[in-house]
Amino acid sequence: MVSKNKNPENPEKDGVSRRSFLQGAGAAAAAAGVARIPETVIAGQNGVATPEVLGPEAESIQLKVNGADKKASAPPSTTLLDFLRNDVGVTGPKRVCDRGSCGACTVLLDGQVVDSCSMLAIDAVGKEITTVEGIGTPDNLSRLQKAFIEKDALQCGFCTPGMVVSCTALLEENPKPSRNQIREGLSGNLCRCGTYQNIIEAVEHVSRKGG
Amino acid sequence: MRPFKVIRPTNEKEAMEQVSKGNASYLAAGTDLLNRIKEHVASPDSVVDLKSLPGMNTIEVTDQGIWIGALVRLSAVSSHTDVLSRFPAVCETIIHAATPQIRNMATVGGNLCQKPRCWYLRHEGYSCVKNGGTGCWARDGENEFHGIFDNQICSATQPSNLAPVLVAHEAVIEIASKDGVRELTADQFFIGPSSDPLREVSLEEGEFVRRVMLPESTRAGSWAYEEAREKQSFDWAQASVTLLLDRGGRKGDHRVVLGAVSPAPLRRSDIEKKIDGSDDEIAEASGIAGAGATPLSENGYKIPMLKGLIGKAIRSARSRKEG
Repeated sequence: MVSKNKNPENPEKDGVSRRSFLQGAGAAAAAAGVARIPETVIAGQNGVATPEVLGPEAESIQLKVNGADKKASAPPSTTLLDFLRNDVGVTGPKRVCDRGSCGACTVLLDGQVVDSCSMLAIDAVGKEITTVEGIGTPDNLSRLQKAFIEKDALQCGFCTPGMVVSCTALLEENPKPSRNQIREGLSGNLCRCGTYQNIIEAVEHVSRKGG
Repeated sequence: MRPFKVIRPTNEKEAMEQVSKGNASYLAAGTDLLNRIKEHVASPDSVVDLKSLPGMNTIEVTDQGIWIGALVRLSAVSSHTDVLSRFPAVCETIIHAATPQIRNMATVGGNLCQKPRCWYLRHEGYSCVKNGGTGCWARDGENEFHGIFDNQICSATQPSNLAPVLVAHEAVIEIASKDGVRELTADQFFIGPSSDPLREVSLEEGEFVRRVMLPESTRAGSWAYEEAREKQSFDWAQASVTLLLDRGGRKGDHRVVLGAVSPAPLRRSDIEKKIDGSDDEIAEASGIAGAGATPLSENGYKIPMLKGLIGKAIRSARSRKEG
């Protein structure tokens, strides 16, 4: 969640906007006799419309990444990709084109593939973010990751984290994809080494073994 | 990226007030706006986030038609069972747009309001009629992907894949404006540079798209969408043809709308008239594809490309109808 209020005692919850959270917290604080209530909340509660304004300076942003809460201070203009890589150290998603064209930054947002370079981190508040780190670890690779190794589905490896995320989402949605459906599912991920054929084989390998 | 404030209005009036204060832009998903900020061709001090407004993220099915909120993601439209069964051409154009990732992010309203993909317009070093300067660099420059119709003032093309099919279905664009809600048909909404070179859509200062309505009365008896692009995995169309046959069950009520060849989707009633069920309708219809075209130095290929696409669309729509 996004909050300017750095009070560590505030029970910050995912899936709650700053406005609704602070309104709730403000009401609770008022009942408890705590004086520090943001002016905007009071105005909002009186029915006077007041928009929430974030930034341009850094704000506290908390996201749920691979099941864990990750919190850092960053300007609200920060993309989800830059927040993950630079602010909370989740470097699986790669910054390649930074324009939503190559798919190296692909992550899952509530289970759906998105380009993390092309959205704001604050727009991911309250959603489940899954990066390649959440799909498997070196000690505990997913079946798809094992298939990538077995089928030699990578060369330089830079597109691989995005490819693995996209293939995982594809198999989740359609455990028995046709070759064309695999191609379509991977159409947002570029591989400059040209390992597409082996990636398709890795997906088919997992698919044949029963998803 | 240049830092900016994010303002989250609680109602439409507030959104319009905020966006008119200083240097501000509306934000939906941001898939186009963020790129333009990164390229230094947009530099808002603040963005007004329409996602904080209620009621713009739903699809409502009524007897009159299907209302699609401006904040509904493209993938949510193309997978919606009622849109699929009643307006399949809309879904087909969407799955030809961008990538699975972008379709999961991009909104309908944002898709309609994205800026053209002209490489001069999207380069901070070029000033042209479209960003407040004069002239069009593409006319005498690199224009392989530019328009072949209505390209004298500015030769950029309308980039939205949804735009032509919305014109074909006479979709209603519902707009939040200072005086309340107003409606335009899709062909009124998309405008060319002779109306105003700075805009591609008829939104006045502070206005934004609320919903889009696909009218039941324009459901097609059969349809086709054909597009050509350089790269099959994903790319912008070089040319596209949207064809609806016998709309609303009315025999002969066809629509042919060309995409990616002009600054606004181009309805071609002359081609529609040639689609008459006769044995030579394909030759007749595709033969006049280039009527009125003024191709530039590198994009004359779009005329034979359109001829091929029109023929393909008619064959595809006729065979779909038969079964």
